Amino acid sequence: MSLAERMLSIDRRIIFLMIGLCTLIPLLYPVGLAIKVSPEVKSVYDYIESLPAGSVFLLSLDFDPASKPELYPQAVALMRHAFKKNLRVIGMTLWLPGTGMANEVVSRIAREEGKVAGKDYVFLGWSPGGGSVIINMGQDLYKAFPTDYNNQPTRDLAVLNGVQSLRDVNYVVSLAAGTTGIETWYVFGKDKYKFELGGGCTGVIAPGLYPLLRSGQINGLIGGLRGAAEYEVLIGKKGKAVAGMDAQSATHFAIILLVILCNVFYFSIRTSGKTAGQH
Amino acid sequence: MPFEVIFGAWVATGLTLFILTFLYEDNPLFKIAEHLYVGVSVGYAIVKTYDTVVIRLIYEPMVKQGDWSLLVPLVIGSLMLARYVPKAAWMSRIAFAFVVGVGSGLAIPRVISSYILKQIEDTVRPLVSLATDGSTTFTYSLLDPASNLNAIVLLIGVVSVLFYFFFSVEHTGPGKVVARTGILFLMIAFGAAFGYTVMARMSLLIGRLSDLIDYSHPEYGRATWWLLAVTIATLIAFRARRRGMEPPQ
Repeated sequence: MSLAERMLSIDRRIIFLMIGLCTLIPLLYPVGLAIKVSPEVKSVYDYIESLPAGSVFLLSLDFDPASKPELYPQAVALMRHAFKKNLRVIGMTLWLPGTGMANEVVSRIAREEGKVAGKDYVFLGWSPGGGSVIINMGQDLYKAFPTDYNNQPTRDLAVLNGVQSLRDVNYVVSLAAGTTGIETWYVFGKDKYKFELGGGCTGVIAPGLYPLLRSGQINGLIGGLRGAAEYEVLIGKKGKAVAGMDAQSATHFAIILLVILCNVFYFSIRTSGKTAGQH
Repeated sequence: MPFEVIFGAWVATGLTLFILTFLYEDNPLFKIAEHLYVGVSVGYAIVKTYDTVVIRLIYEPMVKQGDWSLLVPLVIGSLMLARYVPKAAWMSRIAFAFVVGVGSGLAIPRVISSYILKQIEDTVRPLVSLATDGSTTFTYSLLDPASNLNAIVLLIGVVSVLFYFFFSVEHTGPGKVVARTGILFLMIAFGAAFGYTVMARMSLLIGRLSDLIDYSHPEYGRATWWLLAVTIATLIAFRARRRGMEPPQ
């Protein structure tokens, strides 16, 4: 058996171990590779930056714990930015399994930034219906969410003063891990109620959302852990996303190397097979 | 540090390690974690749905605020349960008809507007731009999505991919060139999607390993180290037991 044949039939657990080490070593010993901010992430940052204090910012955390590593750092960075700008923050989710986690991130960051529940921010929780919830909120926010996550009547909350429906919201960002997310917010929300919409998403669904970005249907897009790291750089508060970028680069390098090597081995076997056939 | 945080860290660490053991081989530890994940997810969904829908959105508005109009959606929704009674199963069709009718009515116009009309509007862009003095200009930047050069690339991509999926004409001669161009664009799209998928999966691994590193610290009782040792010992024990049960050759 030639070297190429041996390498192509290698135990896959060795590959897993290699990828594991490529991830673990940079996490333990970071080198701090440079992070360049992309225009689509900058657009979200710039829009929030342009909002005057007291503007209403709605963050829809449309993901569950399975997508936490990518979208949780995005949520943290966006919340910190919004609180730093003294925006009134409305948190909610269209994903039932993510309700507890969404409440945890909103209330934790608010506490760390010295914000008061009901006055500076509110977490509405989850309501069933997906697109129907957005339509309902566009007509009357208080009918869609009569109470917040802590069962406080939403009409009594100071943070919602002057907010009757989605038309009164200045900026909506949906952090989505799949269907019932950014596209739903555009189709049933922005297209009808004319608020500005930005998005954050997992890497898997990012390519499918670029057409919406190009056509201006969303004004910016934060894609995956990389997007979260860019946002952390923009707000000047490096967190888990930036910490993970070295590991991300190392694993990408390892995978590219493996793809090249596999192709070299494959073609060398094919070439030697052809040569043997000629003899 | 509160006990519940430390307990949560130990549970998260244990389940992460149990799931990762599948990379070595299928084993009972992985099955335990897998079944727990399914069970906890379903249990959580049932409790949250009951609390939000039944209590907050139906019971409290009706009983505490006297909003009896909610009986209408409640009755329509309850008709779905009629499927479990064979003689009354036909009544569930009323509920399904309502859901399908309302859903289609809400979705069709919005989806056509958002996905079809808006996307066509963005795809059909002028190939050259008109300056203020009436002269034509052409921008060459590949990095600018709105440049004229990219408008041409977009036009070629859309036409060639659509042609590739047009099977009524044999792809020969000039048609073959167009179809091959379409394949090229598709390959680039698939490559981009695969690259993003790899990035996403690696991000998940980074997230779990970051947590494992955090939980290996003394304030969490070195959960990662202890549970890693337990996991490895259990795997060895399972392997030894399996070998002992194998019939002699």
